[in-house]
Formats: sequence, C-alpha cells, structure tokens
Amino acid sequence: MPHLELVATLEGHQDRVWQASWHPTKTILATCSGDKTVRLWTPISHDNFEQWQCIETLEGAHKRTIRSVDWSPSGNELATASFDATTGIWENDPRDNDWECVATLEGHENEIKSVAWSSTGALLATCSRDKSVWIWEVESDNDFECLSVLQEHTQDVKMVAWHPKSEILASASYDDTIKIWKEDEDDWYCADTLEGHTSTVWSLDFNEEGDQIVSASDDQTLRIWKMYKPDNDQGVMTHNGEATWKTICTLSGFHDRCIYSVSWSKVNGYIASVSGDNSIRIFEKDTEATVNEDEPTYKNIATKKDAHGVYDINGVSWFPTKLHQDWLSTVGDDGLVRIWRVVLD
Amino acid sequence: MSQNLINANPTIYNTKTFVRKETEAEFDDDIEDSIDSQEIFDLIRSISDPEHPLTLEQLNVTQFEHIEVDNQINKILIEFTPTIPHCSMATLIGLCIRVRLLRSLPDRFKVDIRVRKGTHQSEGAVNKQLNDKERVAAALENNHLLEVVNQCLATASLRGAQQVPSN
Repeated sequence: MPHLELVATLEGHQDRVWQASWHPTKTILATCSGDKTVRLWTPISHDNFEQWQCIETLEGAHKRTIRSVDWSPSGNELATASFDATTGIWENDPRDNDWECVATLEGHENEIKSVAWSSTGALLATCSRDKSVWIWEVESDNDFECLSVLQEHTQDVKMVAWHPKSEILASASYDDTIKIWKEDEDDWYCADTLEGHTSTVWSLDFNEEGDQIVSASDDQTLRIWKMYKPDNDQGVMTHNGEATWKTICTLSGFHDRCIYSVSWSKVNGYIASVSGDNSIRIFEKDTEATVNEDEPTYKNIATKKDAHGVYDINGVSWFPTKLHQDWLSTVGDDGLVRIWRVVLD
Repeated sequence: MSQNLINANPTIYNTKTFVRKETEAEFDDDIEDSIDSQEIFDLIRSISDPEHPLTLEQLNVTQFEHIEVDNQINKILIEFTPTIPHCSMATLIGLCIRVRLLRSLPDRFKVDIRVRKGTHQSEGAVNKQLNDKERVAAALENNHLLEVVNQCLATASLRGAQQVPSN
C-alpha cells in the first residue's frame, strides 16, 4: 500500500500556520501564520532533505494574521493577504538578498482570506470577508491597478485560485458556492456558479489542464467539477454561450470534520486533502474502475492520521515540479510545517 | 437600566439545582479523572451574560443536560439556549463559551458549539459562524470584541460556586 512518509518538520512559527506556497522552480517553501510573519524554508543541503532551515522571516508589514501567501510565477515576488485588510507585495533585492515589502494594496473593508497570482503573473486576485473578489493588474514599478471589484457572492469569500493557463478565476465562499470569473473586453463577470456543497467551500484547485476543479468543504466532502463547453459531445446544457461546470465525482465518508484545504498535483494528478479531523488523505483516479470520463471513480490510496498530532491541518500543497513530485507540505494549528513524501510500494 | 436591552426582563432560574456529584475516584490521586460534562459545565456556567449582571446558568442559557463529552474521540458538543429567539447576543455568547474552552481545555478536544434546535431564528447562521475557526480567529484579533469577551469571562472561574450579585 502507498503511504506517507515524514521527510521533515519545520519549527519556528509562533502561532498556527494557515497556508504554504512552494517556489515555482526552487526548493523553497513560504509559509504564513497567525504570528503575522511569513517564513521561507529550504533544505540545508541538496542531498539531505531531513534538515531544513528558515532562511528568511518576512515581518513588520502586517498588523494581524497573515492568512495566505503566494509566489509570483517568476519566483521574484511574494504576495501576502492579511486579516488587517491589506495585501502585501514583497520583493527580493538580489544585491543584499533581502526581502522587502514594496507595495501594500488597500481597498478591502476587512479580513483578506486569500491571494493568488495568475499564471502569467500579469494579474492578482484577492478575496475577503467583505464578500468581494478584487482583480488587480500588475503594472511596472510595483504599481497595482484594481481592474474590478466582483460582488456577487452573498457571504465571505474564502479562497481564490487561477486557472493554470488562462485568465479564468475561481472563488470559493462561505455561501456554499464556487464562482467562475472571466473577462470580456476589460469587463470581469461571473460566468458560472457551482452549487452542490451544503456548507462553506474552504478551498479549491484546478487540475493540470484546467478543465476540472476539486473543491473542499465544511460539509466534509470533496467535489470534482468538470467544465463542459457549449455544444459539448455529452449533451450537457450550457447557457449564454458560456461553459458550465458540473460535479462528476463526490468524495464523501473520508474526512469526518471540515476539510480546510485541497491540492491537485499538476505533475502526477494526485489530489491531497487535509482536515480538522487531523488527517491527510491522498486520492488517485481509479483508471480501471473508470469507464466513463464523465463519471470517474477516485480511490483513497493513502491516509495519514494525526499528521499534526491532535491539531487541525489548515493547508496542503503539492511540490509543483517533477523534481520532488512526490512531496507535499502541510501546515497546522500546532504551528508546525511538515514535508511528506508519498511512497508507492 | 437602559431601555435598549434586547431582553430587558429575562427569567432568572434557580441555580442551586445543579451540584457537582463527587465520586470516590475523584478523591483518589491515583485515578486519572477524565474530563466529563460536569467539568465542562463548571467551566462555562459562571460566564456572565453580555447584557445582564447574571450568569449564563442563571439565565438557563447553559444547561448541564446539553453538554456531550466523548473522551474516546476527543469530541465535545455544547448546545446553548438564547433567552429569546431573536437574541442578537447569541454569537457573542457562543464566542465566550468557545474562548473559555480554548483557554481551559487540552488541545486534543474538538469543540462544536450550537444553538439548541428551535431556540433561535437565525440558528443556522449563528451555528455556522461559531464553528468557523477563521471567523473566530479574526474575531479574537479585534481588541474591542476581545475586551467584551474578557469581561464576560471575568466571572467564569466561579464555576457556579458563588453568584454574581444581581441588582
């Protein structure tokens, strides 16, 4: 049976850790915490992955919890979203290898829950308890222009995630829905609303192709949604010439408390989820059992119970490249960051 | 008293009815006492109501019968009863109970706090908010709100032993 092996435990945060983001190309992990800091971690050497060190602590810019952190696609900047209602943009100065907060984006009325760069790095999205999603355009000299304020969710927006290739945004909300946002001649609009979860949607992630989304909810289920374009072969109804998203698989009965985070590996296709039930679960598409791609079967191939002891696990993310494609990071209420390896034996 | 109270004339209940039952085992230092619903009730019964100089027990907001503890799976469920179905203080009361338990209990417990079924008109919304840890975390970074919570918790350590003087 495949299983999860602990590679390393990273200690340093002084409060619960909310989220982690892997550098797009290097083996560096950024984590953010209730201690109002972001920490950057790397292995001590290239051949010993058991020992990691905190190479940088980004602090001073946020007055409250940093809820979310995301590397820009170039790996030169970091964006941080805080409960203090601001988004920070951090840049590395190569001259002294020092990180500095070079811009603070204001506008949200209260807690920002999530921040994400688009695949090209040209756009940034943020979302907040104020129920809105903001799209920002990245201009030169650390200037950011707000292109749109999207206010169609009826409750807090918990997370935003960009399509891996196109300028399509998905947002997950306390109103139990997911919304898909697209642009038409500088106008951003809601192209679809995904209904099905029966409680808060905490997290979502696209697959490698960007035609499917996995979502995680307080209803203790994961849902896999597939995009159907107009005039699709399957005969799925679409409206107004827009693609429609439909649940093709529901994974229930695995977690027995809120699922806080889900990550879909763009390299090997595995789905990892973490929960308030203290466990990590790994799912893989069962290719033998799947006869119809519109009704796929997924199987739970590995589970790690009490992965952070008795504590909730708040975030999970797969290593983004082939280099360590079997790695994932988890962060918990115990203030720890853990690196795991999926061992297929 | 101010005319703006949400429930100006709450019913006050006799709190003498619940007395902790002490067992032989509790006096034996060699036996580990597990955390039971009596213990949880003691922790929360003397929390002050946000708008009256009375405890949650005196207002019948917290009741021993509405606490479930499962030590095997580390789960605690607390149901509380707002004094009136449109009580806008319900989330604050729930937050006080949550903070009290966060500060008192071992980390292993997962605590669910709910309004007792049928006792509040926004039951679903209140329950959702009270059990959303992100909302709770953000609320506790709000100094004004934290001060209010701390005031309500100032009497919590009485554990039913002595009542807040009522006027």
